[in-house]
Amino acid sequence: MRKIIKRVKELGPTALIASREFRNFVEKFESEINRGISTLCILSIINQAGDEGMYGYKILKELEEQTNDMLVIEEGTLYPLLRKLERDKLIKSERREFSGRPRNYYFMTENGLKIYNHINGFFSKLTESISPLMDMNVNLKEDYIYCPNCANKIDISKEDFNFCEICGLNIRDLKERRLKK
Amino acid sequence: MSRQYMEAIVKEFLKNVKKKLPEWLKEKKKEVKDILAELEEHIWEKAEELSGMAQPTEDSVRLAIAHMGTPESIAKEYKRRGTPKYYITEELWPIYTKVLTIIFLVIIAIGIFSTVFNIITGDLAEALNFFSFFTGFFSAFTIVTIIFVVLSMEGYFPEDFKSERELKKEARRLEIAQEKGLPISSRTGKPLKPFIHPVGEIIGGIVVIIIGVFLITYPIPGLVNSMNPGFLLILGVFGVVIIIEGGLDTTRGVIGNYKVKTHQIIHIITIGVKLASIPLVVILWSRPDIIPFLIWDNSTNTLVNIGVTPEFYDLCRNIMAVIIVITIITPIEDIYKIIKLEKYKVKN
Repeated sequence: MRKIIKRVKELGPTALIASREFRNFVEKFESEINRGISTLCILSIINQAGDEGMYGYKILKELEEQTNDMLVIEEGTLYPLLRKLERDKLIKSERREFSGRPRNYYFMTENGLKIYNHINGFFSKLTESISPLMDMNVNLKEDYIYCPNCANKIDISKEDFNFCEICGLNIRDLKERRLKK
Repeated sequence: MSRQYMEAIVKEFLKNVKKKLPEWLKEKKKEVKDILAELEEHIWEKAEELSGMAQPTEDSVRLAIAHMGTPESIAKEYKRRGTPKYYITEELWPIYTKVLTIIFLVIIAIGIFSTVFNIITGDLAEALNFFSFFTGFFSAFTIVTIIFVVLSMEGYFPEDFKSERELKKEARRLEIAQEKGLPISSRTGKPLKPFIHPVGEIIGGIVVIIIGVFLITYPIPGLVNSMNPGFLLILGVFGVVIIIEGGLDTTRGVIGNYKVKTHQIIHIITIGVKLASIPLVVILWSRPDIIPFLIWDNSTNTLVNIGVTPEFYDLCRNIMAVIIVITIITPIEDIYKIIKLEKYKVKN
């Protein structure tokens, strides 16, 4: 939205975006949607980095690249978000020197990974469920199963499990059915 | 443009960010230093990328700073850390209610003191003037509420009012509670205070059991020989009742600060046991003639039961009525404990 607003002079003067009322409403709405999704995407990027970890600037670059510049957050607001995640023990940080400059590298914690999988599962199932309302097709990858009780996302190829680690539901049958496919 | 000039631009931006940070964060000097260092590193890296060269330019530095957002928007994110509950965050809500309660109690105490003082000095009009009393309530409520709304908006948490040492102590207490499997509050995330003192409960329970055994076994035959058999039967049944009560107290002491649900069940049984003694007192209320009245007989050097004379029957009945009322009231303590134990169920 902000990108469009910056270009407003190039755009048609009668466009709806010229209206302050419209802009306020849409900006607030987008901000509400973005808030939770940004956190989830940041956790996802940190998770992708694995043991190597990732520092703030790189996280933003990855976020822009992997979302085709669609999910853009104000750069300065990334760090308060990272601090909050660290305080909540979802991620941890380690200071390393790079070209004489200090950098904070962020890593997912064991607890953070569990929470991330759960939120990720919830978001994926929610998106799938609402997709008919939005006239879109969402096909969740077959590599994962989603706990029928709490929507926790479980990677069937990596883990040896019989119960959902979030809600404790017995998912052995579900896993075996999926593996037979 | 010189490197020093670009550095000055960056430093100026960081200075503004620091200025806008919430007060609770400014207190944490090391954290502020880390935050600013991280922002600075980000700006230089972004500026280098935007310049398209290995070295940043003044324009790229300014653009990198613009991408960071305003110091206000950065600081705002640090303030956005409480869980909304009305206009005061959930984290500050318990302290808010506690402060209000203390202030209200102080106002009530002052109000009672001044009313009594005015009555003593004969100034009845002033004694009955509650206007200043209500003004005090309203002013205190308004001031405290405004303070807590502002603290909530600034993103304060209760731990921001504590020293590093206190926080370390609390963390240690939490670790110990987790190791021992003691209950932890879901609201505050802190270990809850023990809801029972096991040793005291066991000692108290044993004392009650011993008294109950005395009531059943009549260990001093000389004392009970002259008593009415009906009264002795009531005494015996009462002995059984209090042995059960003592046993329940002892059991709770042995269980200690675990198995909250079991404690609640024991409290429910205790209520039943306490109320079970009421019919016994009702019998005594209806039959005051069987109540013993012992006097010392000098000729035989023993206690002799002369019984209660009819003119004291009303007095005996009144005493029994008071005992019945007290017996009905005492289970309130158990009900209170059952309710209080609810919060100990979390993570137990």
